[in-house]
Amino acid sequence: MKPVQDLERAAEAGLQRVKAQEDVEEAEVFVSQNGTLLTRLNYTSHIPSNGVEEPKSVENLGVGVRAVFRGAHGRTNGFGSESSDISLAAIDEALRKAREGAVADPDFVSLPRPRPAELPSLAEYHDERLMNISAGDLVEAGWRTVEGALDVFESSEELLGLASGDRARLADLGLILGGDVTMLQERMAIASTSMPKAQSDQSTLVMSFITAMIESQAAKGGGCVVGTDLETNFSEAGRQAARGAIASVGGRRVTDGDYDVVFGPQAITDIFHHLVIPGLNLELFYAGATPFLGKFGQQIAAKGLQVYDEGADRGLAASKRITCEGLPTGRTELINDGMLIGLLSNDYEFQRILRDKNAPQKLGTDPAQHQLALAPRNGFRFGRGGGRHFDAPPGVSATNVVIGHANGETREDLIGKVRNGLYIGRIWYTYPVNGFSTGDFTCTVIGDSFIIRDGKLAEPIRPNTLRINHNTHKVLQNVIGVTAQRQGTILWAADQIVYAPEVAVRAVRFTEIAGYMETV
Amino acid sequence: MPTKVGLEFVDRAREIAKDIVTGDAAKLPGMRECDVRVEIGVGKGAVSENGNVKRAGEDYGFSLGVHALAGNGTLASGYAGKQLGTADTDRFHAVVREAIETAHARAVASASAKRRVQGRFGALGKSIASLEWAPVRIDQKTIPATYHIDPQSVSLAKVQEATLEASRLVSGLESSIVYNVVGASTSVIRELFVGSEGIDIDNTYAQTEAIVFVVARGPSGNLEFYDSLGHQRGWEILESGVRSGPIQDPGLLDFARQLGNDATQTAAAPPMKTTDGPVTVVVDPHFAALVAHEIIGHPSELDRALKYETAYAGRSWFLKRPGEDMRGKQVGSPKLTAFSDPTIEGFGHYLYDHEGTPAKRAYHIRNGVYEEFVNNRQTAALFGVEPNGSCRATDATFVPLIRMSNTTIAPGSDDPARIMKEVDHGYYISGHRIPSIAESRENFRISAMKVYEIRNGELGQLYRDGGVMADTKDFFMSIDAVGTDWRLYAVPNCGKGQPMQAKRMSNGGPTIRGRAVVTGASA
Repeated sequence: MKPVQDLERAAEAGLQRVKAQEDVEEAEVFVSQNGTLLTRLNYTSHIPSNGVEEPKSVENLGVGVRAVFRGAHGRTNGFGSESSDISLAAIDEALRKAREGAVADPDFVSLPRPRPAELPSLAEYHDERLMNISAGDLVEAGWRTVEGALDVFESSEELLGLASGDRARLADLGLILGGDVTMLQERMAIASTSMPKAQSDQSTLVMSFITAMIESQAAKGGGCVVGTDLETNFSEAGRQAARGAIASVGGRRVTDGDYDVVFGPQAITDIFHHLVIPGLNLELFYAGATPFLGKFGQQIAAKGLQVYDEGADRGLAASKRITCEGLPTGRTELINDGMLIGLLSNDYEFQRILRDKNAPQKLGTDPAQHQLALAPRNGFRFGRGGGRHFDAPPGVSATNVVIGHANGETREDLIGKVRNGLYIGRIWYTYPVNGFSTGDFTCTVIGDSFIIRDGKLAEPIRPNTLRINHNTHKVLQNVIGVTAQRQGTILWAADQIVYAPEVAVRAVRFTEIAGYMETV
Repeated sequence: MPTKVGLEFVDRAREIAKDIVTGDAAKLPGMRECDVRVEIGVGKGAVSENGNVKRAGEDYGFSLGVHALAGNGTLASGYAGKQLGTADTDRFHAVVREAIETAHARAVASASAKRRVQGRFGALGKSIASLEWAPVRIDQKTIPATYHIDPQSVSLAKVQEATLEASRLVSGLESSIVYNVVGASTSVIRELFVGSEGIDIDNTYAQTEAIVFVVARGPSGNLEFYDSLGHQRGWEILESGVRSGPIQDPGLLDFARQLGNDATQTAAAPPMKTTDGPVTVVVDPHFAALVAHEIIGHPSELDRALKYETAYAGRSWFLKRPGEDMRGKQVGSPKLTAFSDPTIEGFGHYLYDHEGTPAKRAYHIRNGVYEEFVNNRQTAALFGVEPNGSCRATDATFVPLIRMSNTTIAPGSDDPARIMKEVDHGYYISGHRIPSIAESRENFRISAMKVYEIRNGELGQLYRDGGVMADTKDFFMSIDAVGTDWRLYAVPNCGKGQPMQAKRMSNGGPTIRGRAVVTGASA
């Protein structure tokens, strides 16, 4: 990885080069270098396996130029990039592409301009060792996670019992471990005609997302850890998943019906990642495709529920110093006491909604009265499994989404409150099946789930035997309790980390599925 | 000045890669096999929104990937992927060499750790193995692209104009359309695979595609529809459409008009109510395409079946455990046949996969009996079958994974009109929307663009927010009619792997009749 100072100098020099062009009215130069390092895990006790599949990386470096041009056809703006080079030659090439592709976008106002009162608060929050990780350290991170799970499986009395007390037969139980350890190395710098000087940021992120199964028992558990440095306890994700799988042995089927539910952190993350967070993106309000259309300032969830995006907290793993638009990150309150009070946006969407004559209908209020709540704190160039990409203009992405409640309770309180119902720890394929606008969704229950009886966790629920067919509005409005304790949770292919509590919800609709699998 | 990146650079890359892969790379300690992939694409694209051009650009993509299998006694693999640029052309030899060394170092480190863990765990360490790659035919081939209008000859202005015209057309259809986006792109891509065993495949293809997204207002709220066009052909597919066998696509303007009209008509319809139980459903070829994708294609990927995807994309009910799989067993009605065939024309066409394996047709289900998984060299060796050339990556930076190609339900012998006429009461399920499939693909719910009631063989009331939900085997077994009207559609964004790779492919099918729950709105 190049030192971040090199990127900063390249951005500054690039800006001088671009703004010296006669036809350039405004310009922004974005320089970045990213590494996504990953070990994919695949251990199966009953099928020969590699344990750790190929340790791998995807790396990129380059420049992106956004520019506003004066021309015979008026004011146009364009974006161009060049890969694997941050020299002035690359800047020239990116500028050429931006000029050739420039369009007259009537919604474009200006490149992002910082607000004088807002300054970045984070500094030196990355792990330099992770920025320069060796092949051996990368590989070890994966294998330590496998070993964590195998340690739990090997020492489990329950599993030994299932293997008739014969350790040699543990493998016949069909033990599976899958998932990955992912490490992100991100360095970026940005210079703009709208900003006094070049700014830079460097961050590291470590995530491990693991699933363990005892396949002969149809038992499944999940685990994940997130952190920002190599001290992160990878093997804990493996241990957590293995413990979860063991706890799920002996799962039962549940019949169709409406059940009161406690959703675990992973299930809440799934619901928020696929259904709620996209609906809180200003872009979807503009398009009329959010389930919360016209509901800004209104009650969209049960009283007490709080949701915010926090991009600048050193203690939260996905924090950044600045956005990919060069603006300070910070907290965006999204839902407070059940009311929709803020949205995720970037500078383009922010400026566009302020000028949209239909905005009062789309939001349900005049955006000019809520500029702080719509401020562009989430303009990022995330994607492709990690990184801040020089070859894409900024979109809108969450960072750390934190879910809570004014009166957080204990897990025992929540389970006691539900009394008779279901604990749903892990769901999958949670999609807005009839489109975002309707709020309808469906998913299946795939592990870490239990029947709640007389206010206590009872038998596990057999994975892949229940489908939820429900609606986002009903979930949010029927929240009856939230734990004070939260867990940093990630999902496959998600850009943000959700700090999710356990949440109790009334009357969720379930359908029993796939009875034939008992006899296949 | 370094050499500019263009398709022709692959000629030089080919010589350099061959030289290193068969020379220095083979001398690295413990190196068993190594392959280098290079991909260069040149293309242009534009996006228009609500009748205004929003973005346009012309660029190249240049990527490198190295896969190594190495170790001292115990084998493991390592991978290095890098996005490259013009600055790398004159130093390409050093770039490839460095990537090979990185992939090799990772493989060797992993092999060493593998030995340690094998020894640390008794019974549970025994399954940790040195998985080999099955041998494949050693071919050297150069495959040219097919198109009428060379994507490189099309001006960026023309691409912009096409999206603008389509977006304006949609905006002007009805006042109930509140938002639309039209994107289009056209490219030529040249992929190189050079393996240490002598495989040398240079494959060039055209890729042209478009996406249309429409939001329409209705009495029950807004409704979003989106759909795609795509083919491994030139700009002609968006100008005048495709009429070739099962691919019967309109041009971009007609496609956008149809989607806009469908969105306004459906947004005005009442929401569907979920039926009490399974009913007769007739699904159109567009809906059947997503059924083929989600509940036949995906569970037929052997990596899923062998549990590699347990944490991500799920497992497969076609393989419960080793020695207990569905091959040779009835999983559907004798009317049901489905296959993956990369050798036929389609968005998922290729003749060699990204491991250099020759492509061929794999019948997943023939006359209702499960037959074959799609595989890669590692899983083929493990499963004791021949590699069938089904391992592909989104670009060379990514590790190839087992993917669908042109995966489809095969045409049957029934007249599509009669399939409907024979229904006293049921539902016609038209156009796929959004899927949600159970973890081993044993159950599914897929929403449709439009659901019509069928009464006495005729289409009746149109509903919005409808779809189909069923246990997979029950649905397959219930199929009692399969039409002759086979169609293949472009699917531009199938996600798999970590990091996620979005892959283009074709899926298809004919009109099919079976029984399932028809789902409705949950609000």
